[in-house]
Amino acid sequence: MFNHTLMDTKKIDHIISLSNDLRWQIGDEFHDNLAEGIYADAAEIVKDSVHKKDEKGTFRIDAKIDKIITSRIWGFPLMFLILAFVLWLTIVGANYPSAMLSGLLLDTVHPALKGFAAAIGMPWWLDGFLIDGVYLAVAWVIAVMLPPMAIFFPLFTLLEDFGYLPRVAFNLDHLFKLSGAHGKQALTMSMGFGCNAAGIVATRIIDSPRERLIAIITNNFSLCNGRWPTQILIATIFVGALVPASYSGVLSLAAVIAIAVLGMVFMFLVSWGLSKTVLKGEVSTFNLELPPYRPPRFWKTIYTSIIDRTLIVLWRAIVFAAPAGAVIWLISNIYLGDASLAAWLIDSLDGFGFLLGLNGVILVAYIVAIPANEIVIPTILMLTVLVTGISAGEGAGVMFELDSVSATGDILRAGGWTLLTAINLMLFSLLHNPCSTTIYTIYKETKSLKWTLVASILPVIMGFVVTFLVAQIWRLWS
Amino acid sequence: MEVKPKSACETCAQFNADGLKKLGVNTTDFDYVVALAGNPNTGKSTVFNAMTGLRQHTGNWPGKTVTRAEGAFEYNRQKFKLVDLPGTYSLLSTSEDEEVARNFILFGKPSVTVIVVDASRLERNLNLVLQILEITNNAVLCLNLMDEAERNNLEIDTRTLARDLGIPVVPTSARYNRGIPELIQTVSELANGKIVCKPHRIKNIPKNIEQALEKLSAEIKQVYPDIPNSRWIALRLLEGDKNIIETLKTGEFV
Amino acid sequence: MNTYNPITALAVFFALSILAFLFFRPYRGWFWLIRNSSVSNDKIVVEDVLKLLYHNENADKHLNINDIIRTLKYNDRTILECINKMSDHELISIQGDNVKLTQSGSDYALRIVRAHRLWEKFLAEKTGFKEAEWHERAERMEHELSKVDADNLSSQLGNPQFDPHGDPIPTNTGKIAKIKGIPVSELPIGTIGRIVHIKDKPEIIYKQILAENIHIGSVIRIMEKTSARIEFHSEGEAFVLAPIMAGNITVSVLEKDVVFEENLARLSILKENETAKIIGISKEIRGDSRRRLLDLGFVKGAEVQIDLMNPLGDPKAFLIKGTSIALRKNQASKILIQKD
Repeated sequence: MFNHTLMDTKKIDHIISLSNDLRWQIGDEFHDNLAEGIYADAAEIVKDSVHKKDEKGTFRIDAKIDKIITSRIWGFPLMFLILAFVLWLTIVGANYPSAMLSGLLLDTVHPALKGFAAAIGMPWWLDGFLIDGVYLAVAWVIAVMLPPMAIFFPLFTLLEDFGYLPRVAFNLDHLFKLSGAHGKQALTMSMGFGCNAAGIVATRIIDSPRERLIAIITNNFSLCNGRWPTQILIATIFVGALVPASYSGVLSLAAVIAIAVLGMVFMFLVSWGLSKTVLKGEVSTFNLELPPYRPPRFWKTIYTSIIDRTLIVLWRAIVFAAPAGAVIWLISNIYLGDASLAAWLIDSLDGFGFLLGLNGVILVAYIVAIPANEIVIPTILMLTVLVTGISAGEGAGVMFELDSVSATGDILRAGGWTLLTAINLMLFSLLHNPCSTTIYTIYKETKSLKWTLVASILPVIMGFVVTFLVAQIWRLWS
Repeated sequence: MEVKPKSACETCAQFNADGLKKLGVNTTDFDYVVALAGNPNTGKSTVFNAMTGLRQHTGNWPGKTVTRAEGAFEYNRQKFKLVDLPGTYSLLSTSEDEEVARNFILFGKPSVTVIVVDASRLERNLNLVLQILEITNNAVLCLNLMDEAERNNLEIDTRTLARDLGIPVVPTSARYNRGIPELIQTVSELANGKIVCKPHRIKNIPKNIEQALEKLSAEIKQVYPDIPNSRWIALRLLEGDKNIIETLKTGEFV
Repeated sequence: MNTYNPITALAVFFALSILAFLFFRPYRGWFWLIRNSSVSNDKIVVEDVLKLLYHNENADKHLNINDIIRTLKYNDRTILECINKMSDHELISIQGDNVKLTQSGSDYALRIVRAHRLWEKFLAEKTGFKEAEWHERAERMEHELSKVDADNLSSQLGNPQFDPHGDPIPTNTGKIAKIKGIPVSELPIGTIGRIVHIKDKPEIIYKQILAENIHIGSVIRIMEKTSARIEFHSEGEAFVLAPIMAGNITVSVLEKDVVFEENLARLSILKENETAKIIGISKEIRGDSRRRLLDLGFVKGAEVQIDLMNPLGDPKAFLIKGTSIALRKNQASKILIQKD
């Protein structure tokens, strides 16, 4: 640091007031002139030292690729094909490793841990709290989340490194502009299909404050891979059952796609609403650089994307899931009077749940499963068994899932589920608050409590309104 | 002009491969701080990774590194801390990225600033380079993506470029690790004062602004006789940069 | 759930929604009305009276109490009470019918004007609000900014001298720059000048001027002048205005050595395989957007051509200084070019 004499302090004040006067004299053109001056210098320097060898014979493959990718005929089909392929590979490709992981973590390690706890004489409550609560939740999240993310993110990163994604933003910008958003939101939205938290981190590529906030707040409308399995399971059990078995696969798939598309519709609507109201005053600029294509370095990209994106997001999810597991176990095992805390909660939320065409079990499951959407279905099954008293599962507070889809359906129907419950669950799974990992990420990225609150509460209110309306109209009709 | 323009073979002989140790994120007890600046999409993060041995993700996207990343390497038993600044097109605007980059180069006082540019888009990249050269005397131009420039049939006369800019120029292809040893050697020589730069200062400024800059710069030099960047500070004062006004009072950039 | 039936549920829901809307809709929602009325209204009235007097005294007009009551949209009793209070505090002096600002009253008025114009500058440079909204927002904000707030805002904005309409912003010591210029309606044919001020009152005329896309800082050349219309060229387009509109636009005449670029076009009309040189960016783009465009290389003299068309027509990617940069149509239409 510098110790000023009185003279210096006076001089500095003089400099500052002089700079104010000079600024007034120079006027508004200052920045324009400066930018022009610097570029003029740059042009002179380049003229001296850069030479282009003969132009002929340079075949620009970049230009050819660009012409196809952004053409009227091929641009959009190509884009949808690539997105569909990535999603298909993620959902189908993840099945096998997911089954393996859950076989290992849930069916082998879990019993082994239980056996070990019994052998060393661990008290039942500690054993339940740690192994049935914390361990099971973490194991579940890893088994469901890791494989699809380990497939989705590297694929996405490869497309990104190649340079395709900026072209997608370019192609789609007009659509997003109509709703007051930025073309790059197409990418953060697609990234949200993998994981909303990752999608929100990805909004850093949007350098206009207003459009970035829009992208952050609406990312939750992309069905993330913690929610895909829920959608597929419920659609298979309830929607697929409406038609003969040979068509049921197609119909349930259509139902899931309809929900995902509905999510996009909500994304556009909410983007539009936000840009016209609360975000009207945020600065909005647009620019999009289309970088040259660069062949990605395959293995390095895969390695870094797994390290950078997958594992970081997974780690955050685990950190949040562990306490959730503990809470789930606790509410099922702490008794107030003659019923468990869970039963009390379910009972008190049943009325509200009925209004929404849902039930108390589903609402409680969504409250305790805020940390991770992956454990919603296991929690619902466990709580349904808990309140109906049918014999299935492994006991109070132990989440489970069944291999057989029809057996799962039987439990849910025993819990009073109808087609309405199923449809509203699918809607609510799309429209509810983001998981806590995502909420935390939103806070980290916006550094604003206000926007974090908006992003968390807005979708859940929309979920309430939509399911409520669907339920009432459904009941009027039938 | 004391600049020694380097071609690859000149430096190969001097490069002491045994003296290099990539230290990853271990950034404790360093001797020198090196800043890494550049436009988005110039492979800046790849250069960062190649120098430190880290594997930070580098997307083909403008504006990937939002916060600063840090890494380190050791060369000839001196430890260098490398700070990867956000990629920006300029240092004159108000965005958060630019503020981080601008403030680090001015107030962080790095011993050396490595400016990464895309060799095929030199003119556009020079916009940032020329601004950085107003702030710091110790810089090296990392002419990256040389492989692409060669594919595009561009011939770049690095000697002339080094002479015009007044700083050493090192051609690299960081993706294939080409030129990185030379870059590290040059950084080390700059840090140890073996190369002295005489950086280019922006010339094509309209008369009225130039006069205002000279007037202010002269006044600033009276209070802070030893700073190399009085002209940049004058420029920022004219822009009304609040940060600069504050620090002018405290003398933090000395 | 005995009383439940879907129709009642829906009815209750819609009733609640309507109530919520009435409460929270912007500006006229009951919630805002209640909140605003709890803020001391007197302060706002006092400050509005001061401002009114200040602007009129600047135009050498003197007002009496009736004029004030007629001009301001508050109820008469409140205004009278406030005028009495102001006279007690020696902000104004009442001589006969005439009301005059005292020194401290005029200092106070200048502070309000400063806050108002600084806020407009802030809205223009740092937010995304539309031009037509600035004035109204600043009218509300001027009463909320303290002297210290205004000083902070001013230094954050780099101590600007003029607001976005070209009106001078008083300094914190009350210094105020003069606008040097002549109304467009009084310029002879052939004059080249730069627009330095656009009056934001009366609002109807101001909004018409904005709708014509006329902006501070643009260079214009007077082409034709009759008693009914005035035609001038600016940024490659021709404008025809009624004298009443032209009278609200002030221009500072430029020296002869300024080259007035004719046959300008907008980047948005460039076609594939055409090349052009950039002449400048319209003054309509300001703040961060302008700086970003300059940083990206859209500077005077740069060569530009179309790199890629878009399947939906917008945006287009332009090749500028070796890089492909996509711009939306509304941006491209504000970049001035000359086709090769």
